[in-house]
Amino acid sequence: MSQESHGHGHHELSFWERYVFSVDHKVIGLQYLITSFLFLLFGFGLMMLMRWQLAFPGQPIPFFGHLFSPELAPNGVMSGEFYNSLGAMHGTIMVFLGVVPLGVGAYGNYLLPLQIGAPDMAFPRMNMMSYWLYLPGGILMLSSFLMPGGAAQSGWTSYPPLSIINPGQTVWLLSMVILITSSLLGSINFLVTSINMRAPGMTLGRLPAFCWAQIVTAVLLLLAFPPLEAASVLQLMDRVFHTSFYMPAGLVILGKTYAGSGGGQPLLWQHLFWFLAHPEVYVLVLPPMGIVSEIIANNTRKPLHGYKTLVGSMVAIGIMSFLVWAHHMFLSGMSPVLGNFFLVTTMIISVPSVAILTCLIFSLKGGSIRYNVPMLFALAFLPLFGIGGLTGLPLGLTVTDIYLHDTYYVIGHFHFVVVTGSIIALMGGVYYWFPKWYGRKMNDTLGLIHFWGSVVSMFGIFFPMLIMGLAGASRRLYDPTAQLHNLIVQPLNVVSTCFAYSLALFQLPFIYNFFHSMWAGEKTEENPWQATTLEWACPSPPPHGNFVKTPRVYRGPYEYTPHGRKADFWPQHEAN
Amino acid sequence: MAKHNAAHAHDVVHADHERPNVKLYLGIFAALMVLTGLTVFVSKFHLPRPQAIALGLLIACTKASLVGAVFMHLWGEKKMIHRFLYTAGFFGILMLIPITDFVLTDHQHIDHANVAAEHPDEGHEVESAGPSTINLEAKPAEAPKAEAAKPAKKAKAKAKGK
Amino acid sequence: MTTIAIENPDTHSGISNAKLGVWLFLASEVMLFATLFTTYIVLRMGSATWPWGWDALNVPLGTLNTVILISSSVTIVMAYARAHAKDLGGFRLWMMTTILLSFAFLVVKGFEYYGEFSKGIWPSTSVFYATYFTMTGLHGIHILCGIVVNVGLLIMSFNKESWEHPLFLGRVEGAGLYWHFVDVVWIFLFPALYLL
Repeated sequence: MSQESHGHGHHELSFWERYVFSVDHKVIGLQYLITSFLFLLFGFGLMMLMRWQLAFPGQPIPFFGHLFSPELAPNGVMSGEFYNSLGAMHGTIMVFLGVVPLGVGAYGNYLLPLQIGAPDMAFPRMNMMSYWLYLPGGILMLSSFLMPGGAAQSGWTSYPPLSIINPGQTVWLLSMVILITSSLLGSINFLVTSINMRAPGMTLGRLPAFCWAQIVTAVLLLLAFPPLEAASVLQLMDRVFHTSFYMPAGLVILGKTYAGSGGGQPLLWQHLFWFLAHPEVYVLVLPPMGIVSEIIANNTRKPLHGYKTLVGSMVAIGIMSFLVWAHHMFLSGMSPVLGNFFLVTTMIISVPSVAILTCLIFSLKGGSIRYNVPMLFALAFLPLFGIGGLTGLPLGLTVTDIYLHDTYYVIGHFHFVVVTGSIIALMGGVYYWFPKWYGRKMNDTLGLIHFWGSVVSMFGIFFPMLIMGLAGASRRLYDPTAQLHNLIVQPLNVVSTCFAYSLALFQLPFIYNFFHSMWAGEKTEENPWQATTLEWACPSPPPHGNFVKTPRVYRGPYEYTPHGRKADFWPQHEAN
Repeated sequence: MAKHNAAHAHDVVHADHERPNVKLYLGIFAALMVLTGLTVFVSKFHLPRPQAIALGLLIACTKASLVGAVFMHLWGEKKMIHRFLYTAGFFGILMLIPITDFVLTDHQHIDHANVAAEHPDEGHEVESAGPSTINLEAKPAEAPKAEAAKPAKKAKAKAKGK
Repeated sequence: MTTIAIENPDTHSGISNAKLGVWLFLASEVMLFATLFTTYIVLRMGSATWPWGWDALNVPLGTLNTVILISSSVTIVMAYARAHAKDLGGFRLWMMTTILLSFAFLVVKGFEYYGEFSKGIWPSTSVFYATYFTMTGLHGIHILCGIVVNVGLLIMSFNKESWEHPLFLGRVEGAGLYWHFVDVVWIFLFPALYLL
């Protein structure tokens, strides 16, 4: 497929071909990295606005209040619609424009071919197209802020009938279609590459856990996204062509009967949306688990505990993730019989999740732990993701979910898994692989400041939410003091807000560290962490084509402290 | 250049393509035409729905299998491709689960008389057989209470309805 | 060139990248159309009045389209057979026929839609018509994309280097796989909407 690229070896690439429309997976990976971090920052900014309103409802937003139009924030006080759009866009941007492109598009793209010993992805041009659908799709998504009536404001879940009549949703749906297409092309690429382009000797049983995580993730994206694409098209039809796929008969809005044919089913959207969105959360968490696996194995100087269990659990999670989606819908009015089915499957899926965490924790036992910056992030992942996972259990049990659904407990739960879980791991990965990407190390002191500041702040933001949720505070509530029972926990909102702003502050050393080290960081050699996997067997950064000679793989990925050898690691590609 | 040859070499070329069997293709074409005519002919009788669906599905599956097995070379294709299809088929069948939700629950029906009886003190904008009403102008203080009441009402109505 | 695969059964599936890629893409398309069929079933079950296909749609035109599309599946597999035999003229003839038949399909579909619009029937008219227009519309977009691919291959066959490229037959096969899939979708779509 890519063989028209004979030209690459023969002529000098232009600036556009080399840096903008590059077909080299490494350049594309870094494009994804920077772009997704920028989107993360933007989504974070939206949240900071929301947190002001939540901590000090009805008070004018400092500094920025007057920048917003009177419809959005009259007298600098955030309006309810604006709050809703901030909430919906924060969720959408963080999930679809931030974490997934970072975990899959950035880390997966850059590292998968290297770790399997391939010169590039199977379809380099399609890889380039994936990125160039992601960026415009993301920009289109953000442009909904400029739409008449405001940005999408029906939650990242876009439930009809509200999402059919609310402003901003059409652009949201269109960009979802573009983003899903980008993702589908990417997942096809990842799977063909993993199946067909491994170096000689790189059997499936010798693949690093990171690669397995990417493979399972790619399968999830391939099979789970199309239903959402179809469902989004149907919602677009409802909005633009006034069909009634999701609009029931006899709907009366603001005293007027909705002028549609009726006969639709709002709950159909919920089923179709969550059919994707549940596997989506495993897409959010599996690549970070892969990253943590790599960092832990490397910094304990011993093989991962239970490689087969770890990989098997990842595969099991992948399969089960398709069977649990309606645990997001226990209170939707759907059949209780179905509720029981999904309760059982949800309890089952917690088993492989715990298995993975257990393998990672047991990997620490007896290890010679090196407490460098990436390892700190990986270590922090373990208990914090554990809290996130455990807080999911009351949500998966129908009886307790009746009370906890749509409260701040849910928000606390998923932010623990995604922020203190996935994002912590994704940040740690930056410190770990930065030497490979740029041939230089990041500064350790700034890294320590970033780490401790971030972990403490994150905990400070989200732990109070668990308490608030147990007290019954509803989510998506523009004015938390509107519920009387919230008043007693309202101070916790202030606590969360303070830690949110401190989290913002502690990202500054990270941003500075990243860009400064790119130009002026301490130079490193090929394998500064003395790691065993293949990406460390080529120059830093790797040239076009990655390996001077196709590597041959002789052993598994975690041969640390092997018997009878002087060095405490035995790289996969070394013959003896 | 060597790196690109390596990329070439990773790709398997057409040496493994089977020899096309033209006679078979034409035979399948004839079969498909017959089946198409059959399915249209049978539908004219306007059979009762379950039978009509079963028969239509049967004929469609037969036609699809012929196209898949012969034209798409699935018969004799490597097992891995079959596995992809089984996987996709399995997850496609999972989509039946939403359908069972709609079988088990009637999402259009709320017994308003029942609701009124259960909540005599709450205001009734809704008549017994009236449409579902969304009042977007409710003040924020009221909205959460109304929202919280709705699922409870629905759940209660369902429990009563059963 | 198959030797790489035979030498390395542990690290290569034995199936070309392109073919593997197309089948994975088709797996995702299965999920896409499964969603649409699920929607159809759910909405039909929940609807008090769902018209009989013969009453609501133009069945003769739909049948004609079915015949056209199945024929185009045959012609594209014949194009593949000619490409396998390195018969340039034969390939071009059969591929051209496939493209013409595909256009014919779209033209007939256009007639159908025009007939419906002129009777004042739009997607918003009822859930049945919403489903009909959306599913056949999306299917039509897939046909259009297939035409683009097939035209592309036809044009490539006029370039000596492309025609003689070792991967060309694989490309024809890949295009054929996609086309047959579009045909299979119609095989289910036609009875579901028109006949039941």
